[in-house]
Amino acid sequence: MSKKSRSKLWFLVHSWLALPIWFFVLIVCVTGTLAVVSQEIVWLANPDMRASQPSDDAPLLSYDQVIAAIKQAQPQTQVQSIIRPDESHFALEVGVTYPDGRPDTVYVNPYSGVIQGSAPTFNFQAFTRALHGWWLVPFTNGFSWGWYLVSFLGLPLLASLITGLVVYKRFWKGFLRPTLRIRHGARIFWGDFHRLCGIWSIWFIAVISITGTWFLIQALLFDNQISISSEPVVPVVARESVPLSVDGTAPPTLNLDRAIEIAQQRIPGLEASFISLPGNAYSHLQIGGRGWYPLMFQTATLNPYNGDVAASRLLSDRTALEFVTESMRPLHTGDFGGLWIKLIWFLFGLLLSMMVLSGLLIWTKRTALATANAFKRSQKPVRETRAPQPLQPSIQRETSEGSL
Amino acid sequence: MNPSNTASSSSRLRLLWYKWRFHLNVLLLLIPLGFMPKYFSEAALFRGDAGLGEREIGEVQVGPWNLRLAELRNEAPRQQGPAGYMKHFNAALCQRCIGEVKATYLRIGKPRSLRAAGVIFFGSPYRMSAQLPVPQKTPSDVELWITLEGWDGSMHQASIPLSQASPATVDWLNNQGPRP
Repeated sequence: MSKKSRSKLWFLVHSWLALPIWFFVLIVCVTGTLAVVSQEIVWLANPDMRASQPSDDAPLLSYDQVIAAIKQAQPQTQVQSIIRPDESHFALEVGVTYPDGRPDTVYVNPYSGVIQGSAPTFNFQAFTRALHGWWLVPFTNGFSWGWYLVSFLGLPLLASLITGLVVYKRFWKGFLRPTLRIRHGARIFWGDFHRLCGIWSIWFIAVISITGTWFLIQALLFDNQISISSEPVVPVVARESVPLSVDGTAPPTLNLDRAIEIAQQRIPGLEASFISLPGNAYSHLQIGGRGWYPLMFQTATLNPYNGDVAASRLLSDRTALEFVTESMRPLHTGDFGGLWIKLIWFLFGLLLSMMVLSGLLIWTKRTALATANAFKRSQKPVRETRAPQPLQPSIQRETSEGSL
Repeated sequence: MNPSNTASSSSRLRLLWYKWRFHLNVLLLLIPLGFMPKYFSEAALFRGDAGLGEREIGEVQVGPWNLRLAELRNEAPRQQGPAGYMKHFNAALCQRCIGEVKATYLRIGKPRSLRAAGVIFFGSPYRMSAQLPVPQKTPSDVELWITLEGWDGSMHQASIPLSQASPATVDWLNNQGPRP
C-alpha cells in the first residue's frame, strides 16, 4: 500500500470513529463538562451552600460542635454523616433523617453551625452525573447498560486520538507555529481549530479515554464477579464489645473529636474530611480524608464505644494495581485538587466538545462532498435519464465552500 | 404506477438516507428522555416523598415496642450478583422505642436464637433499611419474623405472613417452578 493511500485510510478511520455517533459523543462530552463544575454551579445558584465566614478570624467548628449546633436547632433530627468539602467556600454537607422518616442533606455553616438549608429537590449534580455516566438507564442488577453504552466511548475516543496524531503529520510543529486561519472560510477555520485544539488536548483526551475505558473494564469485572480489591471485609462490632447497659438505654459513645484524635494517633497524617456515624448498635464509626497523594482517600474504622481501630485503609495498604485503578475516577472527574483543577478540566472538556462539533463540520464540508461526488459518479449513467434534481443545489453549494 | 416513478422515489429515499444517516444517532437521546420519569420517581422514592417506601405494610407490635414496616419497592426481589435475590424493606421505630431498642432484625422463618435473628437494619431509627435474602426455593406461605433487641438485654419477636409483608414476593415465589 502506498504511503498516500495508507494515510488516506487512517484519515477515513479517524473520520468514521465518531461520525455515526457524533451527537451521542457530543452530549456525553457536554454533560461531562458540566458535571465537573456541577458543585460550583449549584454553589452559584444556591446561597445556602456557601460557607460565609462571619468574621475574618472566625475559627472552624469541630465535628462535635457541628453536631451540637444541629441538635440544638433541631433536637429530633438525626445526623448520619458529615462531609467537609475540599474547597473552603462550600458549606458542610450533613446527611440527616427527620422524625417523619425523610432523609435529607442539609448545608451547615462550618463557622457558626447554622443549618442554612436543605439540598434542593432537583439534584443538579446527581442528574448531570447520571446523564453523563449512565445515560439515566437505571441500575437493576449490576451495572446498567447505559453505563456500558457511555463507557464504551472510551475506545473510539482513544482511537481518535491515535489516528488523529497519525493523520496530522508532524503535529509537534503545531506547538511551535500555532495556526488558526480565520479569514479563509469555514472549512479552513474548523480544520485549523480541530488540529490546534487536538494537539493541546492530547494529554486530556488520553486521560479521559483511558479512564473512560477503565469504567468499562470496571463494569465488566464487577458484573462477572471478578474482584481485584485487597481491602479486607471488616466484621461488625462483636456482641461482647458493645457495653451492657443497666438502665436500658444506649451506652455513651465516644465523642467525634476524641475519635478523630485516636485515629490520627494511630494513622499519622490522616485527615478527617468526612465522618460516617455508626449505622446501628453493631456498626463502626468511619473517619476519612485525603493523604499526601490527592487522588485517594484514607479511612479509619473505629469501634464507637471504646475507640479501638478495627480497620484502616491507608495509601500503603493499596496494591500497585489498586494505586492505578483507584486513581482513575478522580483523574476522570478532576475533583482532586480544588477549584483550579476543576476549571482546567472544564476548559478542556469544552474544547473536547468543540472538537466533536468541529470534526462534524469538517466532515459535512469535505467528506460529504467527496461522498456526494462518489455517489454522483456511480449514479451518473442512470441518472442522466431520470435526473433527480434535488441533489444538485446542495452539491453546488458544498463545492464552492469546499474549494475555498 | 410507472417504473420511472418508483425509481425516483427510491432514489429520493436513498438521498434522504445519505443526507441524514449520520444524524440518526440524535435518536439515542430518546433513551435518557424515556428514562427521565423513572429517574425522577426513583429520586423521589429515596428522598422519602412516598413515605417509608412504595408500599406500607403497616404497624407491627413486637412485645412492648412497635415499628412501621414498608417495602421500598412494591416488586419482586431483585437479583444482586452472587448474593442472590434480595428484597429491600424499610422500617421506622416508634418514637418511644428509639432509646430502648438496640437492634432490629428481619428473617424468613422463626429464628432459633438472637444470634441467628437474620439481617440487621441499618440507618436512622426513623428510616432503617435491610436487604433480606429471599432464596428462590422459599415456600410462599412462610412468615416474616421481626426481632427487636433491647439495650436492657431483652428480646422480643413478632411475625407476619410473607403474603402480607410483600405480595409481590409471594407472586414471584409462586412463579419459580417446582420446589422440593
